[in-house]
Amino acid sequence: MKYNSQKVAYIFFATCIGLLFLQIIYGFIMGFAHMGFDGLHDVIPFNAARATHTNLLVVWLLTGFMGASYYIIPEEADRELFSVKLAYVQWASLVLVGVVAVAGFHLGWWEGRKFLEIPRPLDYLVVVNVLMFIFNVGYTALKGRRFTTTGLVLLAGLVSAALLYLPGMIYFDSQVLDSYFRWWVVHLWVEGVWELIMGSLLSFLLIKLTGVDREVIEKWLYVIVGITFLSGILGTGHHYYWIGTPKYWLMVGGVFSALEPLAFLGMAIYAVAMMRRGGRRHPNRVALFWTVGCGILSFVGAGFLGFAHTLPQVNLYTHGTLVTAMHGHLAFWGAYATIVFGMIAYTLPELTGRKLYSGWMPEWAFWTSNIGMLGMTGALAVAGVAQVYLERRMGMDFLAAQKAVEVHFFGMILAASLFTVGIVLFAINFIQHGLPVSEATVSSTREPEPEPPSTPAMARSV
Amino acid sequence: MLSKSQARTFFIVFTGGFSLVFLGLTVDTVRAVPERSHEAELSDRAKRGKRLWDENNCMGCHTLLGEGGYYAPELTKVVERRGAAWIDLFLQDPQQMFPGQRKMVKYDFTAEERRDVIAFLTWIGEVDTNGFPAPPDMTLSGAAPGTNAGQIAAAPKPGADPLANAPTMFRTVCVACHAVGGVGGNTGPSLDGVADRYTAEALDQWLADPQAVKPGTAMPNLNLSDDVRGELVAWLRARGTQETSR
Ligand code: HEC
Ligand code: HEC
Ligand code: HEM
Ligand code: HEM
Ligand SMILES: [Fe+2]
Repeated sequence: MKYNSQKVAYIFFATCIGLLFLQIIYGFIMGFAHMGFDGLHDVIPFNAARATHTNLLVVWLLTGFMGASYYIIPEEADRELFSVKLAYVQWASLVLVGVVAVAGFHLGWWEGRKFLEIPRPLDYLVVVNVLMFIFNVGYTALKGRRFTTTGLVLLAGLVSAALLYLPGMIYFDSQVLDSYFRWWVVHLWVEGVWELIMGSLLSFLLIKLTGVDREVIEKWLYVIVGITFLSGILGTGHHYYWIGTPKYWLMVGGVFSALEPLAFLGMAIYAVAMMRRGGRRHPNRVALFWTVGCGILSFVGAGFLGFAHTLPQVNLYTHGTLVTAMHGHLAFWGAYATIVFGMIAYTLPELTGRKLYSGWMPEWAFWTSNIGMLGMTGALAVAGVAQVYLERRMGMDFLAAQKAVEVHFFGMILAASLFTVGIVLFAINFIQHGLPVSEATVSSTREPEPEPPSTPAMARSV
Repeated sequence: MLSKSQARTFFIVFTGGFSLVFLGLTVDTVRAVPERSHEAELSDRAKRGKRLWDENNCMGCHTLLGEGGYYAPELTKVVERRGAAWIDLFLQDPQQMFPGQRKMVKYDFTAEERRDVIAFLTWIGEVDTNGFPAPPDMTLSGAAPGTNAGQIAAAPKPGADPLANAPTMFRTVCVACHAVGGVGGNTGPSLDGVADRYTAEALDQWLADPQAVKPGTAMPNLNLSDDVRGELVAWLRARGTQETSR
């Protein structure tokens, strides 16, 4: 840690992990309901559990991105954060909005639009909150001593994510237009501007962990986010096949979304190539695991599994089935959860001055959670394909088909338990690090930066 | 090899260019949607129905236009599949309609509100969805769990309307789950030939209280009055004789 104000990141990361646990609880509630154990139905009906599960996911990821930004922006801009106090106020208001939203879901206060269930009045609070955040980091970056590409791409991602939240706040009487603009938030977030955030966090971590020359890393960052938008903007069309929008979207969406995996393939190659080139010089091996794991798993979950059902010929049958849930889990985990975990794994020793990154616990946390998530994805894949076959192709009654795939949810719950063990280990390791201390500022600037690669001239030419 | 500033130019040009194309397509789509979705027929009733749909977050369990939760049936074509009368009855007490199954929330909608919801679902059923949901392409049927169904009835005979003189109750409610002469739902077994399997008394008892006859059955108790039951039994029996005499 270079600047004392970077410490605010800690409370965001701690919140992140807490919210993830809550999310997992609601995941189990739904998993059991799918297995036929819906004892909680009268207290927490499925739609309340679902809204809570997915909104907590989005909130904890955003909390993680904010924590990461509070850490990265001062470091990249070479100055203290504009206002630490404002950051804490922003954190508190974020938590407040989150608590009210989740409580509201249990009382039926919501909007009934998938992923955007937060009711309108709270939306305005979210906007105020995000403005506070953007102002704080934006001002810091503007007044900084340097303006790096990594910082720029991160800020661009944060600002456009905030702007794209707005189309989701318009009310339409027509379900078709409602859905059309809902995707401006959901799709253009995860397959657009969030990739800017992910890419910049990835390059920050790669610069720190591999010691490869910044120029090289940042050049490829531009190329990757370029491919993201080249494919991802018109790729929105893969949600416009069947909702009452014109037929040309079948073509536009099909072609461009089929290119989207290239951006994730780029992220994977990027991470692996930089790791190879720089070698594993930094002692924080587990942070590098998460970083490279993010590159690879984002390609598997978002790129490969997204591609599997993105062509209209396939999507006609898989649309709105458990196949989508399968892809949703590994994509969110692989691309966004792992990058937040990578940031936590890297920054925590820097913030607290305790280098607890070696030993079995952090590494087991990495492997069990990832293997668990792959298992969950596999179980959902089998359930999804069976559902498509029985219900969509053979014409079996919905409930009958669900009965037939019930057993796979048992598999999913087993894998989810393994996943949860990994998260518990991660949390224990987090707690063991203790609180951030100002002394860490000094100690880490003294820490030797990883050596630059032995052949910088060659590195520059690639 | 590519320099950093070239990479940046690539990023800016493609992002800007494709954003503009996307905005253009959006303008065209917003213009085309009213016709494709018959927006003129989006009555006030249907608009109120959408509010109810939103306020109760039905999408948290169901998909509509293929979007939503994966816990409950896709509803885009539900009016076509089940009929308005059945839905009206179902919404009054979902758990009674599907005894022992996955649960839906029992909303205490007024009769007006139920009509609003049905108007909304009717409207959505007529939106041009480019062919979603696709009709099943393998002719094999499946019935609700725990039933002896599975065999779909013979394909409908051209010209003949198997429901021609059916009692209203059958035509509006029973047919949502049962097929006769190839017409109707597949939640329950086809009722062709049911007269051969049951006597009039047995049918009457079954309709009066299915659980008493077969505990745990998925056939709902529809609280039918004596008159309605009489009509149904007579019609089912009469169909049976027609069928065998043919
Ligand atoms: C807690 C989850 C849940 C919520 C919320 C929910 N439903 Fe359902 N719904 C179900 C389930 C499960 C079924 C399947 C039948 C059954 O088991 O009751 C169903 C069936 C239906 C059906 C019949 C579909 C068919 O093809 O048989 C209709 C119509 C329906 N729901 C409408 C609604 C409406 C309208 C709302 C919102 C006001 C709503 N549902 C909210 C779970 C839910
Ligand atoms: C919600 C769907 C549903 C509705 C509505 C419904 N049924 Fe059924 N019905 C079933 C199911 C499921 C079974 C199979 C029960 C079993 O085998 O346990 C069944 C079984 C039957 C049987 C016995 C069939 C056999 O071959 O054993 C008859 C007769 C019958 N229903 C008549 C009716 C009539 C008449 C109505 C209208 C008043 C009606 N049902 C409405 C679902 C329904
Ligand atoms: C660990 C235990 C977990 C369990 C048991 C679980 C289970 C579930 C279930 C049953 C659904 C609902 C599907 C439906 O509508 O029927 C769901 C939705 C979802 N979950 Fe999880 N989940 C878990 C963890 C996670 C994690 C860690 C993530 C993110 C990284 C995640 C992301 C999602 C997403 C994005 C959806 C919405 C999917 C869609 O609508 O397509 N879940 N989850
Ligand atoms: C990190 C990036 C990604 C994330 C987090 C993600 C997540 C999700 C989620 C949560 C859904 C369900 C949305 C809903 O129904 O409301 C979804 C749907 C979908 N995704 Fe992705 N996705 C990502 C990338 C991709 C990519 C790269 C592709 C294509 C190559 C893709 C293809 C699809 C398709 C076709 C659907 C629609 C499924 C349906 O019709 O039901 N996704 N995605
Ligand atoms: Fe998408």
